[in-house]
Amino acid sequence: MSLPVLKNYINDEWVGSQSDTTGDVFNPATGEKIAVVPYGNREDVDKAVAAAKAAFPAWRKTPPLTRARYLFRLKDAFEENFEEIAQTLTTEQGKVIDEARGEVRRMIENVEHATGVTTLMTGYTLEDIATGIDCYGHRQPMGVFAAIVPYNFPAMVAWWFLPYAIVAGNTYVVKPSEQVPMTQTKIMEIIEEIGLPEGVVNMVHGAHDVVNGILDHPDIEGVSFVGSTPTAEYIYKRCGETGKRVQALGGAKNIIAVMPTADVDEGIPSLVSSFYGCSGQRCLAGAILAPVGDKSDEIVEKFVFSAKQIVVGDGIKQQTTMGPLGSAAQRDKVLAYIEKGIEEGATLLLDGRDCKVEGYPDGFYVGPTVFDNVTPDMTIAKEEIFGPVVSIVRCNSLDEVIELVNSRGLANAASIYTGSGNDARKFKYEVLPSMIGVNIGIAAPMSFFPFGGAGKSMFGDVKGHGQEIFQFFTDTKVVIERWF
Amino acid sequence: MSLTSFGSVLSFAEEIEIQDSAFYSAVLNNPESAGVKSLIESFIKESKKNIVIIQRTRRENVTEMILEPIQDFSSEPFCIKEEDPENMSAEQVLEKIKSVENRSIEYYTAASKKMKSLPEVANALRLLGKKHNKRLNKVESI
Repeated sequence: MSLPVLKNYINDEWVGSQSDTTGDVFNPATGEKIAVVPYGNREDVDKAVAAAKAAFPAWRKTPPLTRARYLFRLKDAFEENFEEIAQTLTTEQGKVIDEARGEVRRMIENVEHATGVTTLMTGYTLEDIATGIDCYGHRQPMGVFAAIVPYNFPAMVAWWFLPYAIVAGNTYVVKPSEQVPMTQTKIMEIIEEIGLPEGVVNMVHGAHDVVNGILDHPDIEGVSFVGSTPTAEYIYKRCGETGKRVQALGGAKNIIAVMPTADVDEGIPSLVSSFYGCSGQRCLAGAILAPVGDKSDEIVEKFVFSAKQIVVGDGIKQQTTMGPLGSAAQRDKVLAYIEKGIEEGATLLLDGRDCKVEGYPDGFYVGPTVFDNVTPDMTIAKEEIFGPVVSIVRCNSLDEVIELVNSRGLANAASIYTGSGNDARKFKYEVLPSMIGVNIGIAAPMSFFPFGGAGKSMFGDVKGHGQEIFQFFTDTKVVIERWF
Repeated sequence: MSLTSFGSVLSFAEEIEIQDSAFYSAVLNNPESAGVKSLIESFIKESKKNIVIIQRTRRENVTEMILEPIQDFSSEPFCIKEEDPENMSAEQVLEKIKSVENRSIEYYTAASKKMKSLPEVANALRLLGKKHNKRLNKVESI
């Protein structure tokens, strides 16, 4: 049976790529090829940007409430197609179906939040800044924006940006991850149904050539990116060179402190979910577990016990609680980190290397893995593994944990489990990461708060979604006015 | 089957409603149940609505922040023996309806208690249990 070959969505049409280069899309649970994705080129980008640029003048003049009504329609269409999107997502990405549903929900929440444009995008004014002179700050859309998004959240991440961009009056080009292009393709099919004007939203499949095409394109005003830190840094620099606005969200090494005052039994389910949810492939996943003080043995014992209960398998099956890694390459990378941990002298308490799932011999599976006695200088305590591998760094005090958190360079998120308000306050006040959980394992800001880290986890000024996102997608034009 | 996740709990609820609906449709084919025809039709209609509620609850309340595993919960105690109601006597039909409704009440009650971190879901499950309780009361008053 021949595999479907995906197309670009440009100017409300499904068009083949100008490039002959293609890649395979896999179902990570089975290892089977399920689609072929074109690796587009600059010509594809040019076409998409030309369509978006042509759509801009009419779209920016469309009243904000009318633009919001398209989003209301889109929300309804997403609800109607909710299960189909979630299942497509699980099939190409591997995460379990509940996680896929959670991701689609968060995507929709961004659409819902963006419909508040009529209050979120308003400017401001002050009379009599000098005698008889008034001043107005109008927020104006700027033109064409683009998003380059990662494989771990194929539905949601583009929607941290897209709905806000278009509801503000801009037009858009999305480049999905070439590893998981089917979910955004499904989403574009839904967009096609709601009747957005031609060219307002466009999608180009591809890899490096499309990324560079976007970064270099003179008609793109700004770029939103989520991915690894080296790529985020590259995109940030390149956008600086080409004069674009940029928000580039990078990697993470999130630390979760568990204080002796924590209610361990209450906390364990969310701790396990933090480290192993999405098979550890999320930028908010716990990476280092830092038990503090004399309850450390109990915490480690209970954590390992719960990790052993995880059912690894095909995410589409309801009884599965952890799916495969997103690709064979990612699986091999994670396995290499486990070897590195052993080599550097950490104690392997739970070994996920030989993870076999019955009936799925070719899936990209790694089981839950736990290393104890990890020291801050070990590779597995420093680098982002992006897999189901937990490094336990035992600490003697809260100060020691804070020092650990602040010495990673990556400063995306951090959490503390504690029964002490004083410890919680000190932790959230002193740590560098900018997404903080208190007795919460996944400190994921919802659509109405900004999403993004600090340090080497974020390059740029304005984070994803939240109220501030409208600053990224608009220029504040100041009018100083006097009448004689 | 172990019900270890939010989705599996709601999917099993959906399965229960589908089974209920199929059972009641079969009851309608039994001439012995002519006296309760309108009641049975209302149950079928309500089960369809319940499925919509379950699907909406699953869609709207699933957030990755609180997708915590569920422990010590499985579908086995809530699986009932499938029987063909078409050849049952009127009394047997009523008894079977009671056991079908009791199963649903017990499931929704137990499931709502497992949804500690998702109170809206717990509430939806409790309300579905209440609906089935009302059905049971109607059947018992016959």
